This record gives sequence, C-alpha cells and structure tokens, in this order.
Amino acid sequence: MALRSISRRFGSRILNYRSSVASLHSHATSFGFQQVKEEEKSKLVGNVFTNVASSYDIMNDVMSGGLHRLWKERLVGKLSPFAGMKHLDVAGGTGDVAFRIFDAVNSVKRRALRKVDEDSLEETQIYVCDINPNMLNVGKQRAAERGLRDNKSLVWVEGDAEALSFDDNSMDGYTIAFGIRNVTHIEKALAEAYRVLKRGGRFLCLELSHVDIPVFKDVYDLYSFKVIPNLGELIAGDRESYQYLVESVRRFPPQEKFATMIADAGFEKVEYENLVGGVVAIHSAIKL
Amino acid sequence: MYRTAAKRLLGAGLTTSRLLRSTIIPSSYTSNLCTSSMGHTESPIINQSGPTAASSTGTGEGPRRKPRPEFEEEQARVLSASLRHVARLGWTEEAMTAGSRDVGVSPSIVGSFSRREAALVEYFMDECLQLLIDRVDSGLDLQNLIPSERISKLIRIRLEMQVPYISKWPQALSIQAHPVNVPTSFKQRAMLVDEIWHTVGDGASDLDWYVKRTVLGGVYSTTEIYMLTDDSPEYRETWAFLDDRGKDAFDLKKSIQEAKYFAQDIGAGVGKSFQGLMNGVMQTMSTRGGGSTSAF
Repeated sequence: MALRSISRRFGSRILNYRSSVASLHSHATSFGFQQVKEEEKSKLVGNVFTNVASSYDIMNDVMSGGLHRLWKERLVGKLSPFAGMKHLDVAGGTGDVAFRIFDAVNSVKRRALRKVDEDSLEETQIYVCDINPNMLNVGKQRAAERGLRDNKSLVWVEGDAEALSFDDNSMDGYTIAFGIRNVTHIEKALAEAYRVLKRGGRFLCLELSHVDIPVFKDVYDLYSFKVIPNLGELIAGDRESYQYLVESVRRFPPQEKFATMIADAGFEKVEYENLVGGVVAIHSAIKL
Repeated sequence: MYRTAAKRLLGAGLTTSRLLRSTIIPSSYTSNLCTSSMGHTESPIINQSGPTAASSTGTGEGPRRKPRPEFEEEQARVLSASLRHVARLGWTEEAMTAGSRDVGVSPSIVGSFSRREAALVEYFMDECLQLLIDRVDSGLDLQNLIPSERISKLIRIRLEMQVPYISKWPQALSIQAHPVNVPTSFKQRAMLVDEIWHTVGDGASDLDWYVKRTVLGGVYSTTEIYMLTDDSPEYRETWAFLDDRGKDAFDLKKSIQEAKYFAQDIGAGVGKSFQGLMNGVMQTMSTRGGGSTSAF
C-alpha cells in the first residue's frame, strides 16, 4: 500500500516534468505508472513483449498459478464456437485462445455429439493477429508442435489492434485476451472491433481488472508489487517488463468504465463477469 | 396482449393472481406475436415493460446495461426462426444456429443467450401461453361446459400446440428439469395454470388458490407426459385420460374441502378438550391441596 502511494507521487512528479515537454508535442499516455508520449508507448510495449516472448507462457503459469488456463477456457466457453466460424483473436500472439477455439470446433467428441456439417468444418478460419512478430513466431512454433503447422484454419497475421487489415463485417467473433490494456488508444481498438464484426458477432475481452474486496485487495496488491517483479527477474530475467505489467493493470479503467467504453463503440448487451473477485474480468458484447 | 394485461390490471378488483400476471409478463418475447389489431397499442407500453424484460434477459454477475428494444426483438426473431428447425435438430444450439442463419445474423449470437437451449424452450413456452390467451380472448365458447370440462378443453388446446414438436418434447422436458432452469420453468408453468383457472372463472385468492393451482398443475403435467407415449390417432387416448383427470381433480377439490372441514372440527374438539384440561390444571394449582374437581 505504501509502495503504491510512493509510486503515485513519483508518477505525478514525472507527469509534471513531462507535461511541460509533452504540451509542446502530442498527448501523453500511461506506460505503467509513467507518463510517456503516445508514439513512444507502442514502441515501449513492443520492447516489453519482444523481451518476454520466449518465456511468456511459463510466466503466465507461474504468476497465475495455472489459473490463466481456466480463465481462457471460460472465455472460449462463453464464445460458444461453431463450425465454419470466422474468428479473430487480437493480441493473441502465442495462440492460447486460438488453439482452444480450434479444439472446441474440431474436437471429435463434439462432432460425435452434435450433427456437424463436414463442409462447414473446412471453412472455419481463426485469425491470430498480433503486433509483435516475436510473439507470433512463438505461436507458430507451438502450432507446429501440435501438428497444425500447415492447417489452413489457423492464420497468423501481423497487425495493429487499432488499425486492423480485415474487411468490414467479416468476423463472427472477436476476442482479445490480456491485450487491450497494452493498446495506446482503447477506443480505436474497440471501434475497429465493431467494424470487423458481422451483425450478431460477439466481442469478448479477457483482462486483468480491479479488485474491490477489502482484505483481498491488499493481498492482491502485495502479491502484484512484491512478488511478480521478483518472479520476472528470477524466471525471465526481466524485472522491468513485469513491473510494467502490474502497473498497467492498475492504470486500466475499472470494469464499469470499460463497459461504458464498449457501449460507446456501438455494442449491445454489454456485460462483464468478475473472476477471482475481480482479478480478471470477462467483458462481452454483441454487435447488432 | 398488452390490452388484456391492462384490462386485467385496471379491471374490477386486483387479486393476487392478476398481480402475478402483471409483474412477470415476458413482454420482450411476445412483441412479435401480437396480432395486427393490437400492433398500435404496443409502443406506448413497451417502455413500461422494459425493465422487467431486461431483468429477465440479463446474465452474469456484473451490472447489466438495459438492452435496447431492437436487440430483444432480434433475439425473439432468432428464437422464432429456430423453432422451425427443432423438429429436425432438437432443442439444441444447432437449431438456434440454423435459426440465426435464417434471420441473417451471425450464429455467434447463440453464445449470448443465457442458458442457451433453455432460452429456446422458454421462448416456446411463452409463445404457447400467449397463443392460448389469444384463443381465449378471440371468443372461445366455454359457457355451456361445466368447470371440469372447461379445464379439459383449455389444457387440450394448449397441449395440441406441442404436437409438431412432440418427437423432441422429452428433450425439452429434461432441459426444463435442470436445476439451473427450474426456477424459470416453474414460473412459466405457474403462469399457465393461473391463466387457465382465471379463464375458467375462478378469482379466489384465499388458501384454496394454492390448492387449486397445485392440483391443476398435476393434471397438466401428467397429461403432458401421457401424451409422450400415446400412439393413438389424434391422441384420442390422451384426451380421454385428460377428461378423467379433470373429473378427479374436481372430486379431489370436494374431498379436500371436506377434509378441511373435518380437520377444523377435530381441531375444535381437540382445542376444547385441551382448554378444559388447562382450566382443570389451573384450578387444581390455585386451590392446592384442596379437593376441587376438574372442569370436565
């Protein structure tokens, strides 16, 4: 708690310094608790993920105690994938969500239970879009390990969430798992999501969010600021990236505010579900 | 449908049965089913019923934004289109996917229905109830029938609506029986039973009300299940079964009434003797050691 107040004061001092410079140039945005110029943010984020790409999956397991798998399962369950769907997973570099969707559609058990049109199975397209080529490479490698290297259903695309290269009204589903807080302009990413989704298409966002429960909140803060950067140093050899990670979570808008932003982008039926008391939240919405 | 709701709300007396109806009318699903003659009355009332509709369609733990009316209409349209595929694909997500394709909406919308297949079953139940109300309002001749026959006729009309889906109806029943879905399916059946009694002409709101609804609920459910295994032409045996149950129900009603009076009498008798005993005890205690007799 003390750490947080210290870093807030520190952050505001940086803000005062930078604002005098920033007022001459573009707007400032947040990079963790620091204030940085907008153009710099994507570069800084890029650096973070280039550094963490190779140990991203291991660190996820360690930091969340394996829970991130359950969260992603829940996300895909909510999506309810179907054969023949065109799905876009943004910031999905290493392919966790994409693989789960692929399995959900193609699993033999599912095909046996339900009547599936074999032709439409062929048409399923899952696009994995990430701004960072290193993350995509890790994803492609994992696909190869699973024997899906040449599978036409999985398509790896390098792209920016704020300026997607897909056509309007082309996607049945859009997911973004633990990616939207790294985006410089969240509204732009939401607007792009709205653009590429078909009528009836679903938007699902899994993201670390704000905890309000009294005692648990302090435990969580302690864990975030004390334990995680140390784990980052120990396992990935990169303290700063993980410091950025926990700070960016605090900077991200709380659940209600984010839900309002989603509604402002034009989506209907905006809802969110808190997991683990608010550590993670799944926001869902529909385009109509 | 809003006309009938308004009529009953403002009509003579506000019994509990009418209150029940006015608070849980699933207006969202029925907006498309109103006949053209009622179409012009829809818009002014749709705002009033908005909150109740929103609360019945919301999900999740977080606070919900109230869905706009077009969204609910869209959902209703998808569900309505899905019903056409139920006979072939069952009460499943596949039927809903096919339905959404018919309407021209991405099948992803299926994922947004709370309790997926249950949403389809519940929509069907609401639609059938609405059709029943419409049939009754458009002049069903019940005057010449005794109450048990009226009940039989109404239940028969309602069950005949299920005939096109009868091959997949067991699946619908099992979906309704899931613990998650039980509250809603119970509520829907309660509304149906309430509506039937109301039409038969019973507006009582005393303890009898619960007994009547329970009995009728039993008659309806047993007939519904009987129908599942009935192979006779045009379900003749089911209707015969229904008529017998209807008669039983009324006899049962009489016997329940008799049982109540009997219990009251016994209660009175027991009460009197207990009172006498207490008096006796009091007297004995107050004149302790005295040789007074009890008040028996």
